[in-house]
Amino acid sequence: MTEPVVRPARSEIATLTRIPAFWVVVVLLAVGAVRMVQLAGRFFTAYPKATLTAVLLFALLAVPFWLFVRELDFLEREPPELLVTACAWGGLVATTASIPGSAALEDLVAKLGSPHLAADWGAALAGPTVEETAKTLGVVAIVLIARAQVNSVLDGVVYGALVGLGFQIAEDIVFAVGAVALAGQGDQVQPVIATFLLRGFLAGVWSHTLFSALAGAGIGYLVVRRDRGRGRRLGAAALAGLGAWSAHVLWNSPLLSAGLGNGAPALVAVLVLKGLPPLLLILLLVRHVHDREADYYVGRLAMLRDPDLITQRELAVLGSGSRRAAARRYAGASAGRPAEAAVRRLQRCQARLAVELSRAEADVSDGSAGARCAEIREQRDVLVRLGHPEAVTGPRSWRHAASTAATTAVAIAVLCVAISALGGG
Amino acid sequence: MARITRRELTNLLGAFGVVATLAGLAFGLPAVDRALPAQRAVRTDRPYPVGAGISVFPPPGATVDVTGTRPGDDQGTALFRLGHVRYAIAVRPFDGDLATAATRLRQRITGTSGYQVTGAQLAVRTADGVSGLQGGYTAPGRGGRYTVFVTAGLTIEVTIAGDDLALARMLPLIESSVRTLRRDGEPR
Repeated sequence: MTEPVVRPARSEIATLTRIPAFWVVVVLLAVGAVRMVQLAGRFFTAYPKATLTAVLLFALLAVPFWLFVRELDFLEREPPELLVTACAWGGLVATTASIPGSAALEDLVAKLGSPHLAADWGAALAGPTVEETAKTLGVVAIVLIARAQVNSVLDGVVYGALVGLGFQIAEDIVFAVGAVALAGQGDQVQPVIATFLLRGFLAGVWSHTLFSALAGAGIGYLVVRRDRGRGRRLGAAALAGLGAWSAHVLWNSPLLSAGLGNGAPALVAVLVLKGLPPLLLILLLVRHVHDREADYYVGRLAMLRDPDLITQRELAVLGSGSRRAAARRYAGASAGRPAEAAVRRLQRCQARLAVELSRAEADVSDGSAGARCAEIREQRDVLVRLGHPEAVTGPRSWRHAASTAATTAVAIAVLCVAISALGGG
Repeated sequence: MARITRRELTNLLGAFGVVATLAGLAFGLPAVDRALPAQRAVRTDRPYPVGAGISVFPPPGATVDVTGTRPGDDQGTALFRLGHVRYAIAVRPFDGDLATAATRLRQRITGTSGYQVTGAQLAVRTADGVSGLQGGYTAPGRGGRYTVFVTAGLTIEVTIAGDDLALARMLPLIESSVRTLRRDGEPR
């Protein structure tokens, strides 16, 4: 018997209002919103131009993160209401609890230890302890209000990442405006730009989104893997939480940065030594849980053995984000934009059918399999008419390779400029 | 009347668990922090490290407030208290001149609602010969002094605040302490 990678469940998003935890979460979000609006109001009063710039820059930064997480979530899409709730928890609730909590814990480090200890390790101990707890509670809250929606470890990753993203954006804006105040030059945007380059561009990748994704994976495992003993599931969730905390502690700690100075090489060394190992480890984990979920859903479609619904070659494409994108590009190159759009719709319909088949296996189907099959056949007909009947990847195109190389070169150039500007190198 | 199901009760308990943990973070930790004393005795016969290799002799009768004291390698802060008077020193990297540093500090002071800078700035000097600028400010119910020094790529900002009576009594002691600010060489 295969391991239950996914626990299919009926979507219960319409019945949220009947769940007690939903109203508790609504109240918490409202309290957090009031607190953060008060804070934003003070920022806008004191530094309107700088605050607006910070909000716009960091909101823009959220876009690629959001798109990445949505692509990760392609096969079994989470309801937008819950994704927004997760993001709002991070930006409103977790920040509201963390601002006084982290400051108090850092003071406690100074009181129970020493000011020297607090100066060196206060941010490394207080921030991760309070913030990772507050953010992980966001995934717990999602489980409480919509347990049926968290039906794979990947779902925990998705909700955790979005809680972290909301937190990261709000925290970065607070830091950016704080930098403006500290600079003492009035309503200037330069400190905002510097904060954006450092916290958003250079350090943004291995920040809260990543840490919370790991903690979310633990909550996902705890909820989904009921074939395992309670102790093992709790242990795995605790281990994931500890991993998120440790990665955050390492990032905030003075370790490995002493003696490197303040120049550009030191900045690169810190990014590589303290950021890269957790980044790679967590990305490998995310890829593993993504691939397991993808194999599960593609396996449901493979059992259909109906090439009108999905061909053997499309089965090989559907489980991978990069291959899905390659298939869309190939359709666009060979039959134009309408074919590219039709392939996108076909892939979405196939994913929805896979989810419905998994629900039917678990006797929680809403009976929409027939409608899903009809949607797929409709898109197949469109593709046949356009002369591109199969959503598969084509030969590797030189244009895509050149575009990838150019994008990478531009990214490296921007990275070098940012490091040079911040490190003084 | 509708009965609460076991599932709803578990759900509610879980939600209260979330709320309790959040309350612990947002209110519990600050309450524990407030319950513990922040002030420590400090020796006034030896220099106290502020950060980035800068030290100062605290004024007689001062205590150090550990919540505002963070002596770091390349920047730092020290917060002393003399009764109701607050004596804070902040050191951080700076690549401008003294006038710019003073302007920035004045802007930060006046950026706080109700705070106003008063009078002209005076030139001051530490015992080691580092030049600085000193001025005064007022806030509702309290007065204050600020002093800025720039030395070796660092700015040293001193702010002294308290009610007028206490400030007038403690100011000579604190200004003597300010003159002992010095760079000890290598950061700790």
